Amino acid sequence: MKSNGFGLKTYAILYLVFLYAPIVLLPLFAFNDATIISFPLRGFTTKWFEAMAADTTLRTALTNSLIVAVTSAVAATVLGIFAARASTRYDFRGKGPIMGLIMLPLVLPDILISLSLLMVLLGVGFTLNLGTVIMGHTLVCTPFAIAILTASFNSLDRSLEEAAYDLGEGKWSTFRLVILPLVTPGIVSALLISFTISLDEFIIAFFLAGNQVTLPVYIYSMLRFPKNIPVIMALGTLLVAFSIILLTLAEYYRRRGIAKTGGKDTGGFL
Amino acid sequence: MITPAPTRPTMIEFRDVNKYYGEYHALRGISATIRAGEFFSLLGPSGCGKTTLLRTIAGFEDISSGAVLIDGRDATEIPANKRPTNMVFQSYAIFPHMSVAQNVAFGLRRDPGSKAEKAARVEEALAMVGLKGYGDRAAHALSGGQRQRVALARALILKPKVLLLDEPLSALDKKMREHMQVELIKLQRQVGITFILVTHDQEEALVMSDRIAVMFEGRIAQLADPETLYRRPATKDVANFIGVMNFLPAEVVTEAAGRIAVDVQGLGRTEIAADQAPGAVTGEPATVGFRPETLTILYDGQAAPERETPGSVEEVVYYGDMTYYDVRLDGVDKPVRISMRNTPGRPVLDIGTRTRVAWSPTALVLFR
Repeated sequence: MKSNGFGLKTYAILYLVFLYAPIVLLPLFAFNDATIISFPLRGFTTKWFEAMAADTTLRTALTNSLIVAVTSAVAATVLGIFAARASTRYDFRGKGPIMGLIMLPLVLPDILISLSLLMVLLGVGFTLNLGTVIMGHTLVCTPFAIAILTASFNSLDRSLEEAAYDLGEGKWSTFRLVILPLVTPGIVSALLISFTISLDEFIIAFFLAGNQVTLPVYIYSMLRFPKNIPVIMALGTLLVAFSIILLTLAEYYRRRGIAKTGGKDTGGFL
Repeated sequence: MITPAPTRPTMIEFRDVNKYYGEYHALRGISATIRAGEFFSLLGPSGCGKTTLLRTIAGFEDISSGAVLIDGRDATEIPANKRPTNMVFQSYAIFPHMSVAQNVAFGLRRDPGSKAEKAARVEEALAMVGLKGYGDRAAHALSGGQRQRVALARALILKPKVLLLDEPLSALDKKMREHMQVELIKLQRQVGITFILVTHDQEEALVMSDRIAVMFEGRIAQLADPETLYRRPATKDVANFIGVMNFLPAEVVTEAAGRIAVDVQGLGRTEIAADQAPGAVTGEPATVGFRPETLTILYDGQAAPERETPGSVEEVVYYGDMTYYDVRLDGVDKPVRISMRNTPGRPVLDIGTRTRVAWSPTALVLFR
């Protein structure tokens, strides 16, 4: 038994090293005073961050990404609220297949989604720009939003609604006074997850952005120039920090929601 | 227990109420009236339709045919949020994101009264359920019994004509449940409105109710006051569901002038009144039932006041204040249960003891 425990421990440690060592390298080289990414380190500098701040194309790409991420997060969450409410509260014909089809983009390869969207959008006569990227991102973010929101709506006791109704409220005021406050943590959580997914999505943005590049597409294009690589490291460092903060917030809100409604934690994304 | 005065007006009336869920026939022609100011219970095993029937009063459940009348008005004309009824839910349905006071005040949102007036009403409602000073507590931090009281205060603050209680005590432990039973009876007398309680606990229904409707499979099997239900159950199902009942095979010999002669296995031939024999038919096999406490085990030399039958003790269960005996009467293939109060100077009998059992024809109920 003892040797077994040792083997599993080693495996777990190796796994975590493999997962996180490359990410630890990001800040290491972002602050390293050398163009070439290799050991030994040459000394501390913040010039790559300064170069990054001075890059106007990068700033445009960042602005584009933020526009896309915020818009598609809001769209995915609103659609998610409708779908989650419908699937948890009502029974209707074809509910299973409909929900299955909505959730399918979770497992469909992004490249297929991108290709088919590209063909359809061009065929219909759309011009490729941030709008088409937003459509694509909303499509892939919605299943995540639904998954999170369904859990929130499910943990609501149905008699809470009936109680509000019994005490004289209408359908809409019941939703506003009782349901909405109790699922708000789930909504915040869905917004944050969708935002994060959209922000670092590459394939759809690459196919559908036309000449309005988003941040991941811009980073990819910079990789062709070796002298830019430390700048990308600096940018990467900031993005990693930002992602960790966002995901922590999302999970915090999800758990707080569960505690609020007095339900049991049945898992989540973190 | 207050026996309801017959002059009390009708508060709820069910007229041949039917309810289908697809193919499933959940309520099968329910007709009954519930009087104003009455503590009424719907009693039955799970799935008998008692909660569904309660929810048709609240307006959470549509009916397929028939009519539900609330205080003389057809309920279908009144949407659920406008009915003069309020409900205490099985899960209590306390709004977890609000304080106790906010929960209790929820129904007053549309009330035109001033803020101070509403606050006073909330305090009054909390005091009524014994939660004075709890207004600022967070609702999700309360114990089960406290949630129950908040739910009661929240429902009663609107001064409904009818309070609906859906298994309100089932989530509490035994001691708390018995305590709340008494509290609910007192509360009902204090506010004087109609209480309709759904429960699967026969003891709870007997303790609390003025009248009880016993339901099986979507039908009301018997509607009566607790004493009648216990002493004169209308069917074998009702007799079985309420308390403990011994059954012996029997046959009706003759029926004449309100008296019925019947042959009971082990007990022999006896005569009972017609009201003890719902639906008896001469010459057909029937069943006779009697409660454990209507039998008495006789001392040596003690004479039976009416009839007696010999038998032997097969099992003894000692409860402190009571002893339950299983006695096999001579000529009967299975033992009957007898409950005896333990009194000083009277030893608990051993298994195998030969004994005589006294019984009374007036305690028998004949079932078809």
